[in-house]
Amino acid sequence: MPEILVQYQAEIWQSIGETFIMVGVSILFAIGLGLPLGTLLFLTRKGQLLENRYVFSLLNLFVNIVRSFPFLLFVIFLIPFTRWIIGTAIGTAAATVPLSIIAIAYYSRLVEQSLIDVPKGVIEAAISMGASTREIIFKFLFVEARSGLVLGLTTSTISFISYSTIVGVVGGGGIGDFAIRYGYQRFETELMTYMIIIMIILVQLIQFLGTTISKTIDKR
Amino acid sequence: MISLIDVSKVYNQKDNSTFHAIDSVSLSINRGDIYGIIGRSGAGKSTLLRLINLLEIPSSGTVIVDGEDLTNLSKQKLRHARQSIGMIFQHFNLVSNKTVLENVLVPLELARYPKKERLDRVREVLRFVGLEDLMSKYPSQLSGGQKQRVAIARALANKPKILLCDEPTSALDPNTTKEILEVLQSIHKELDVTIVIVSHEMDLIKSICNRVTIIDNGQVYETVDIKPKGIVNSDHTPDWFLTQLTEERESDNA
Ligand SMILES: Nc1ncnc2c1ncn2[C@@H]1O[C@H](COP(=O)(O)OP(=O)(O)OP(=O)(O)O)[C@@H](O)[C@H]1O
Ligand SMILES: [Mg+2]
Repeated sequence: MPEILVQYQAEIWQSIGETFIMVGVSILFAIGLGLPLGTLLFLTRKGQLLENRYVFSLLNLFVNIVRSFPFLLFVIFLIPFTRWIIGTAIGTAAATVPLSIIAIAYYSRLVEQSLIDVPKGVIEAAISMGASTREIIFKFLFVEARSGLVLGLTTSTISFISYSTIVGVVGGGGIGDFAIRYGYQRFETELMTYMIIIMIILVQLIQFLGTTISKTIDKR
Repeated sequence: MISLIDVSKVYNQKDNSTFHAIDSVSLSINRGDIYGIIGRSGAGKSTLLRLINLLEIPSSGTVIVDGEDLTNLSKQKLRHARQSIGMIFQHFNLVSNKTVLENVLVPLELARYPKKERLDRVREVLRFVGLEDLMSKYPSQLSGGQKQRVAIARALANKPKILLCDEPTSALDPNTTKEILEVLQSIHKELDVTIVIVSHEMDLIKSICNRVTIIDNGQVYETVDIKPKGIVNSDHTPDWFLTQLTEERESDNA
């Protein structure tokens, strides 16, 4: 192992841990709130089961606003809110607040897109069998869209990793922040290179995993 | 069995005008009928069929199925009523990420069919349509005719009294069409199911229907009683194709 990695071993492991926490929490929020939000976005669209122009426009506006913010500004803009929720605006826990909100908005849009791809006839068949909206969602929509949902989550996760490098500005830590602080600011170019390689490997792994899972569950 | 009384379906169009897809239609379908609905493209056949199970909500009029006024039911009661009206479609509309078994299982789950008896029931309907061996296949591994038979099995799972068919054979070749018609006929005979078929194929309607309504411009043009001619044997072998092609050439030469 290169000497410089050994030298900074403890810090490197810690930064990897921080990245995992930030990205992990983002994924949880993406699934827990982004999936329902995306489903609601889809269902309230024109011509869909719960068509509702007002609800759709409201949700759509929320998603668009969050996603159009440059992320750095979003983090700073949210500082009062973060302080209110977490008690402080500094540190890894605080960094998960803007990350989770962007995760919800980001994944919900991809969920909406995957659900749009479900053939309308399948939903019709479900209605003709007497399925309730809830049953249509769980027994038809999510089943038919599952590979798209997994691919969307993969793409999202990779974006979350990229976003997580920016929260260094509020002391969020993580691999990206470490690379900037030690590698760039202290001119340890070699160290920075290694950190970038670690990030690349991480992203490759996630993409490979996501693609493989999505392919195996796709029977269309 | 089914009565439509003065039913209309009006769509609002982009330019704020209205369009009468179905215009004050009344008709009654008796128990035991194989009832045909025929007409040119855009006449309103599909819309009319979909009004029967309220897949389209009528703009006005009454839909009575098996003595129950569907237009007056609560959402939950309507869902319940739909469970005893089977429906099949031109493009089958199976869930492609579910196996044949799982596809047929769904309506039983929806109807809270006793858990222990579900698998037996799935086997029974799949045997009826002749697909018992393909239970663990996915729809993408099946031919069009097989897919439609899965769809039929799915529609029959809850022992419906009525089967609605929207262009059930329009995506299939003549041989497969014949197969599907035979299945429909045995459903009618052996399971005592009233069948409504929408089609633009005259041969199909003539071969199995006993009563036919011609729809045009969203209105009933005429309803006639006919004697079903039976399913024509359309065994299209390579030889048949060859004869058809060469006969044409010979009559051109003559
Ligand atoms: N959701 C809708 N909004 C507006 N117009 C509609 C809608 N659904 C159907 N129509 C119109 O109603 C008319 C009847 O449609 P329908 O699908 O019932 O025709 P069809 O007889 O089944 O035709 P085909 O043989 O082509 O399937 C068509 O002119 C169609 O454009
Ligand atoms: Mg049609």
